Amino acid sequence: MTVATVRGIAATTTATPSDLDAAQRTMTEAAAAHATVAFVGGGTELGFGYAPSRVDVLLDTTKLDRIVEYQPADMVVEVECGVTLAALQAHLAPHGQRLALDVPLPERATLGGLVATNAFGPRRTRFGSMRDLIVGVSFLRADGARVRGGGKVVKNVAGFDLPKLAVGSLGSLGMIATVTLRLHPLPEATCALRVAARSADDVAALTHACFARQLEPAALVALRDPAGSYAVDALFEGFASGAREQADRFIEIARDADLTCTDIDASDVSTNDERVRTSGDVRVRIAMPPADLARAEHDAIAPIATVLADAQTIVYPALGIAFVSGHSPQNPTIVDALLGARRAVEARGGNLVVLHCDDPLVAGDVDVYGALPPAFALMRGLKERFDPAGRLNPGRFLGKL
Amino acid sequence: MVQTLDVTAIARDLAAAVGAAHCITDPSELHTYESDGLAGMRVRPLVVVLPETTEQVAAAVRVARKYGLPIVPRGSGTGLSGGALPVTDCVLVVLSRMKKILAVDLENRRMRVQPGVINLDVTKAIAPHGYYYAPDPSSQSVCSIGGNIAENSGGAHCLKYGFTVNHVVAATVVLADGEIVRIGENAVDPLGYDLIAAVVGSEGMVGIVTEAVVRILRVPELTRTFFATFPSTDEAGACVSAIVAAGIVPAAVEMMDALAIEAIVKSTGVDWPLDVGAALLMDVDGTRAEVEHTASAAVQIARDAGAIEVRMPKDAAERLLMWKGRKSAFAAMGRISPNYYVQDGVIPRSEISAVLREIAAAGTAQGLRVANVFHAGDGNLHPLVLYDARVPGEEHRAEIVAGEILTICIQHGGSITGEHGVGIDKAKYMGKLFSDDDLESMNYVRCAFDPQRSFNPGKVFPTPRLCGDIPGHYHAHASELAGTAGRG
Repeated sequence: MTVATVRGIAATTTATPSDLDAAQRTMTEAAAAHATVAFVGGGTELGFGYAPSRVDVLLDTTKLDRIVEYQPADMVVEVECGVTLAALQAHLAPHGQRLALDVPLPERATLGGLVATNAFGPRRTRFGSMRDLIVGVSFLRADGARVRGGGKVVKNVAGFDLPKLAVGSLGSLGMIATVTLRLHPLPEATCALRVAARSADDVAALTHACFARQLEPAALVALRDPAGSYAVDALFEGFASGAREQADRFIEIARDADLTCTDIDASDVSTNDERVRTSGDVRVRIAMPPADLARAEHDAIAPIATVLADAQTIVYPALGIAFVSGHSPQNPTIVDALLGARRAVEARGGNLVVLHCDDPLVAGDVDVYGALPPAFALMRGLKERFDPAGRLNPGRFLGKL
Repeated sequence: MVQTLDVTAIARDLAAAVGAAHCITDPSELHTYESDGLAGMRVRPLVVVLPETTEQVAAAVRVARKYGLPIVPRGSGTGLSGGALPVTDCVLVVLSRMKKILAVDLENRRMRVQPGVINLDVTKAIAPHGYYYAPDPSSQSVCSIGGNIAENSGGAHCLKYGFTVNHVVAATVVLADGEIVRIGENAVDPLGYDLIAAVVGSEGMVGIVTEAVVRILRVPELTRTFFATFPSTDEAGACVSAIVAAGIVPAAVEMMDALAIEAIVKSTGVDWPLDVGAALLMDVDGTRAEVEHTASAAVQIARDAGAIEVRMPKDAAERLLMWKGRKSAFAAMGRISPNYYVQDGVIPRSEISAVLREIAAAGTAQGLRVANVFHAGDGNLHPLVLYDARVPGEEHRAEIVAGEILTICIQHGGSITGEHGVGIDKAKYMGKLFSDDDLESMNYVRCAFDPQRSFNPGKVFPTPRLCGDIPGHYHAHASELAGTAGRG
């Protein structure tokens, strides 16, 4: 797709290179012209971060869509940044493999963008986020040099970890050119269950019981309804007998807690996650120590969900993550709710990030990220080394780097 | 160095920083710290300090800075690449007295520890509650968490569970100017760049970690172990590939060749057969029915792949003995060779058989034997080049073979180190694996933390690298002018 603006800032020109050599020429020319460059893949996370201060060149990566190397026996794949997650999964599935990443909008989301935003979905419960799946990266530096870090083997400690540095960097350190990823086998069977939980306390207790009984859910997410009760969805994956046994034990856990448990379709889990994370004009993500869920329900999640119209919330209780979205009431109550929630989670070592906001009132009064981390000076140092002239996505990242 | 160091003044200031009893200047005592696990190289540090608190580390770093001295951090000193090898006239900061477990948070599955805590002691502290710390380098009974963080240590079970970088969530770090900074958060996804990933695996070049918050995991419900022998490493390698192709993710798969088996049997007394070409030791873990299925499927695959014999330990004690055999493999080499050189390289798993043949040929060409004991699941080789230092020229030939092994790994698309680090030992190979631009980019990371290259200069990078100026932000420090410039 063609996107000519980033967070409302119109690009002077758009470049859609058809291969990495062309992309490198674009970067080199931009360097020579002292031009600022922003990047866009599928455009699924363009609402995140501050508005860039200026976009001279918008580099569209969607034509950089080659699978560079895939050796099924090694369970590693190298792709160009513009490959969509859905295209990659379709390429891997005939070999019984997958990238264990189940993000929203897989038909549009590109691997480069997924790296730049440290993406994840419900299966992060078991497999981690992009940070845990990336083993190698190559990127185009601000000066146009193509550099790489990591490699195509999973185990590798040669040199500084540039792949993980690229993860979550939001296009502020370079253009992610290719990504090498660790793969997992497609499971033989998946069992999906839903437990009707009365409260966040129930969610916490169920989560605790899963650990206590040594279950290993591939995903454990809880969908909140307006009254503060939750539908807890669990996915168990593996060989048929293993997935079934885990599902049966999860049913026992629910029964012991006097909660009803029903079978659901496995795809419901991703569908719900996607709906919450792509709806509304205000979307936030809360990160907290996992055991703080009940407190966060009280002083962060409920206060926001109460104020937003059509509020939707999904919680990842084993990880300590909540996404809340909805429509702004267009008055200061939402600002107060967000700032109050942020104070509460920051006090406990967490954070509240505004992922998307179309309400000018909220955008004006609620910072995207909140308090800068104590090590921010080191981050500024990194940005200054990789992008000394501040030309890559200027102003978009944490601290308006 | 141009000017003469005032050792007395330096020692006085460092003693004030960490206490006189924990500041070593006596040459005979310094001798202990001249090398780490890379025993062939020795450099005497100027002073050794053994701080007990974060503030003492910061104070010692400020003293080193005042005199323009390089700083080398050291944990247990078990590293095999010379990461903790002192550099000339350095202050060696030994963290082994900082060995407190500061907090156990089972609810959030986190632990806060000091860097000198021994890896295995982390697990021991939480084992009664059914939790453990996943990274398990073979040296885990002696190596420290701080050293693990510096090297991004792995171990046999990182195949399924990841490396140190996947298990550290926050750290307190003393920077080169003595500033104490906290990076990461107890919650997931701390804001900004992934500084944890910059620190973990930085080989002591960005700062000194004085506290770490690590993730702990619930012990799996069931672990099944089996030991299978094969006519040669070809069948054993094919077995590993077939297991992976069947959709099984083992917790660990270790391979030992005939020489390694011989050494382990002689050293530990395990009753493994000596007339086989290779053996696999494998763990599958997880929930009960899943493990029962994958274990029996893996055993069948091993038989189909030509296993001579498949053994399953009858109890936990026997399982522990099997793993003890594997984990003592390096030390066991002493039973079959007066000296040996431990190598660490990585290759794509599918290349194992071809690479092992090339490695054997490289040994034969120099008249030397190479034993292999390694993490087959992730292609992390540990060839052990056997030699006799008393025979003139043999040590040199062993070094040639060890170097050729790395070249072979690079040619097959792998890496020069899977878990031992680059240190001083492999710095010269970095340029074969990475371009100058790649290395320059890595140096950016280091320079963002330590622009004057005070920490562990001369390691990892093949040629000295300066940090360069950042317009408007860089000011040369007095200590840089005083002598550390150009050490990088």
